[in-house]
Amino acid sequence: MKTLLAAIAAVALLAVAPFGLGGYETNVLMMVLFFVILAVGLDLVSGYCGQFSFATGAFYGVGAYTAAIMSRDLGTSIWLHLPAGAVVAGLFGLLLGIPALRLKGHFLAIVTIAFQTIVYLVISQWTSFTGGQVGLTMPNAGPVRIFGVTLFEFGSLRSYYWLTLAMTVICLIVAWRLIHSRLGREWVAIRDDETLAGAVGLDTTRGKLTAFVAYAALAGVAGVLTAHSLRGVTPDDFTIWISATVVAMMVVGGRGTFVGPIIGAAFLATLPEFLGKFAEYKMLIYGVLLVLAITLVPEGVVGRWRARTSR
Amino acid sequence: MDLFLQYLANGVVIGSTYVLVAVGLTLIFGILGVVNFAHGEFYMIGGYAGIFAITVLGLPVLPAVAVVLATAAVVGIAAEAILHKPMKNRDATSSIISSFGLAVALQNATLIVMGPQPQRLNLDVSKIPVLSSLPTDFGPVFLPQQRTLIPLTMVLLIAILYVVLRYTWTGRSLRAMAQHATVARLCGVRVERVAVVTFMVGAALAGIAGMLMSSIFLVYPIVGNMIALKAFTVVILGGMGNVAGAAAAGLLLGITESLTSGYIANSMRDIVGFVFVILVLLFRPQGLFGKAVDRS
Amino acid sequence: MTVPILEAKAITKRFGGVTAVNAASLTVGKGQIVGLIGPNGSGKSTMVNLVTGEMTPDEGQFLFNGHDITAQPSYRRARLGMARSFQLLRLFSSLSVEDNLVLANHMRMQSSLTASILDRAAAREEEAAARKRARELLAWFDLQEFASRPVTALSIGQQRMVELARGMMSEPTLFVLDEPAAGLSPPNVDRLIQLIRRMRDEFGMSILLVEHVMRVVRDLCDHVVVLDSGEKIAEGEPEAVVKDPVVVEAYIGTGWKRRAQG
Repeated sequence: MKTLLAAIAAVALLAVAPFGLGGYETNVLMMVLFFVILAVGLDLVSGYCGQFSFATGAFYGVGAYTAAIMSRDLGTSIWLHLPAGAVVAGLFGLLLGIPALRLKGHFLAIVTIAFQTIVYLVISQWTSFTGGQVGLTMPNAGPVRIFGVTLFEFGSLRSYYWLTLAMTVICLIVAWRLIHSRLGREWVAIRDDETLAGAVGLDTTRGKLTAFVAYAALAGVAGVLTAHSLRGVTPDDFTIWISATVVAMMVVGGRGTFVGPIIGAAFLATLPEFLGKFAEYKMLIYGVLLVLAITLVPEGVVGRWRARTSR
Repeated sequence: MDLFLQYLANGVVIGSTYVLVAVGLTLIFGILGVVNFAHGEFYMIGGYAGIFAITVLGLPVLPAVAVVLATAAVVGIAAEAILHKPMKNRDATSSIISSFGLAVALQNATLIVMGPQPQRLNLDVSKIPVLSSLPTDFGPVFLPQQRTLIPLTMVLLIAILYVVLRYTWTGRSLRAMAQHATVARLCGVRVERVAVVTFMVGAALAGIAGMLMSSIFLVYPIVGNMIALKAFTVVILGGMGNVAGAAAAGLLLGITESLTSGYIANSMRDIVGFVFVILVLLFRPQGLFGKAVDRS
Repeated sequence: MTVPILEAKAITKRFGGVTAVNAASLTVGKGQIVGLIGPNGSGKSTMVNLVTGEMTPDEGQFLFNGHDITAQPSYRRARLGMARSFQLLRLFSSLSVEDNLVLANHMRMQSSLTASILDRAAAREEEAAARKRARELLAWFDLQEFASRPVTALSIGQQRMVELARGMMSEPTLFVLDEPAAGLSPPNVDRLIQLIRRMRDEFGMSILLVEHVMRVVRDLCDHVVVLDSGEKIAEGEPEAVVKDPVVVEAYIGTGWKRRAQG
């Protein structure tokens, strides 16, 4: 109950935030929300199900390019792009999940890196379809119509921010329900001991594949939202650096906890803003933080705090 | 046909670089079980160290090589202290994440210090004995001496490594560690020292590769990304921990890439290797040349 | 002989050049406790992993309730009613005792996964029923006060009991116990013997018992199968088998005999 109240208060605060903030800060806040979706998604597959992935950027990119290409070729709006991005990215997730059925640890990590690199190379080289290095531009999210009546116009930054916030809340609710369902418990079982999971009758194939699909689909949603917010896509927004950043967010916050990745994303995504003129050191600081976090606080700040309080 | 031989030669040159980088990577994995994603940065640092020694200090080639090796030794010691020492008794992902963080940190530190613009090493081959007397035309194949130097150095270094591993106490310790770390410790192998030596050897091989390659291609802060990925490809194709396999797979990858870019499309060059890797991991996880190993 | 629940027919398993199990057969009848014994390295553990589907045999056939399960993976065998415990105790280490039990009941749940994700009443009721049953079983093992504790907070002896409770949670018809007495103190072994007997008598399950502790085998087993070097060298009533000279030699004499011959 306390958790629910805290969550509602946090969302309410984020909802009114644009009134007190300028355009730049609102944009930063929106970017934080994209990373929250990405980090929570990665936590499903890595933190809960124990399958490591360096391919977040690839699924993020697949979602974004789905939106950009659909809007170019079909002239569709964001309402179609959101489910389409989730489905297409989810299918790619299924594809990456297949090697995960047979591989563990560093072998799996390397496959996810190879996968990330292949996706990046394809979107940066297949110029006729993806626009190559230059990428694609797209119109803004467009009006929301139901039966021909315009309900919202997402031209303004503020309205788009609210849409992003609403989608983030939906993604978090989905993730929360997944974790607290039978499926989420099976993910943890697979992470703890895969052989045992099979021996007690759990279908580990289904467990792993669903975790990969859920992770990829969430990243796909974040991709669609990002593409519309930036009014376009370029391959360099979806590199392995994005994947590494999201891993850092999850690890610093706490793997296998729900709030950990949210806190990690909020902290690392806003960090460059507080660094002021040192913002160019952002990636250097991420790198050092990642090394320090995994060495000194491998369970993440939330994990450490939980261990403290439960004692 | 003429072009084919040229492509082949280009492939061997690039492949030799892959061998140098990948052999260190596979040693670090085979002996210490560390998956080192910062290995490409060893290459990058080697390139910059070479440029510093030759362009800034104005040193001749051999002393410049010594500078690169000394730098590699420092890098190896530091990397071991970060990636291996505190990570014992942890799961595989810990050292993966840590080495990834180290790679990000090193690249961005270099970016801040050296700037993003690519740099070239002006290697004056006419001052290197033996090499300067080599021809540049081999029938239909044209190979400048800077390029010929790379496969030659690779063969030399791999031969030295082979002799060291085979016939010295250090080499036997390394191999004992690769077989079974606990037993090796019981037999008197000083594990800490072996770990440091392994990282130093890896950094040295990659550093030399970086130095030599930056006389042909350019060196820049994130050059190590692609190199590391290629090296991983080679390590997997050769079988993780398998030095001879890595050497064969490195040449194979270089040649495959060169032929792909020559006959299919340049844009396909980088993708082939990765597709290969996923297929190999799925269907032959012990590598193309290896014996079966545990995949977990 | 009662109706067979598990039949292993001429099972062979090789690892590279080594034959770990060689044309071994065994049968567990309904309501029986069958012991599988043999010296170290005789292939018992391999046989257990073959029975439960962690490994597949190179030759031979497994029948479970008359159905061929040779090609079925472990989770399917579990769903058909086969539970197991592990020689080196295995539990989901980051979960509570109760959650460890509930997981073993997942495969028996009727409501869909979607219902569970959407938190529908059907799934919620089923979950509540599983938790109730888990607590009852824990009470049966005298562990009720530990239900919400992390499994790692329990002693090794208690964790062994949780493992047995987990197996029973899946409502098995055959329970494969892999050295359940390993690492237990003598009083705990007595308790284990009682519990296993009650498991059979009160829940009517059949048990395949791999065990080193001879007292457990003698007290519990209706029938004993002896493996040595992957081959079945004897079977029969426990008292008769342990006196069989072939068995005695396998246990104490193999090394000596081989050395003498070689």
